[in-house]
Amino acid sequence: MKDINPLPWGAQDRYQAHFIVKGNVDQSDDSFLAEAKLKTQGRFASKKVVYVEWIGGKIADILNKDDELAGMIQKLSYNDACIWVDPTKNGVRIHGKWKNDQELGISKEQFAVYDRIASHIKENLSSPPI
Amino acid sequence: MHDSEQDTFVQKNKNEQFCDLLDKIGIEAETKEIGTDEVEKGDYYSGSFTHSPIMVTNHGCIKLKNANIDVVQIIQKG
Repeated sequence: MKDINPLPWGAQDRYQAHFIVKGNVDQSDDSFLAEAKLKTQGRFASKKVVYVEWIGGKIADILNKDDELAGMIQKLSYNDACIWVDPTKNGVRIHGKWKNDQELGISKEQFAVYDRIASHIKENLSSPPI
Repeated sequence: MHDSEQDTFVQKNKNEQFCDLLDKIGIEAETKEIGTDEVEKGDYYSGSFTHSPIMVTNHGCIKLKNANIDVVQIIQKG
């Protein structure tokens, strides 16, 4: 039976795994900010990613130049291919969409994509002006 | 008739479950005690994206070996 007075607060069944590259980052600087914009083909279960474009700071330009990374992302499902790169004070975070308890997981292909993005971040974290 | 469920089970938190998933795909990973990593102390989002939540629950970190990623943090909305 549905609760007639549901509580408006509390932890929800939505999880995220943040893949973090540690380093001191200026949060107000958008150099390490990026979002994958996807072009797709088909609908519902047959929806496929056909093109990936990174939008954001200078890291987005670097990620756009990596054709192998684009190919790896195109092999992922649409939900897994939605990726954000978010700089915070203690490091740069790479994460995907919110997932419920059952969906939260990681495949070898997904991890390879995150690790490749992390390699570009790491290269540029050590050399300050990117 | 036998019940297919085992009599005992090992209760695992979200962090340990995700660590097991990483182990399964061949990534060397180790769970850390909650609140012990520096990334847990600051903000979890820059706030630059409109979908960034205001309230989140930290489930702790997983340290990775032989990867460009240093740690994985599990976060719950709300």
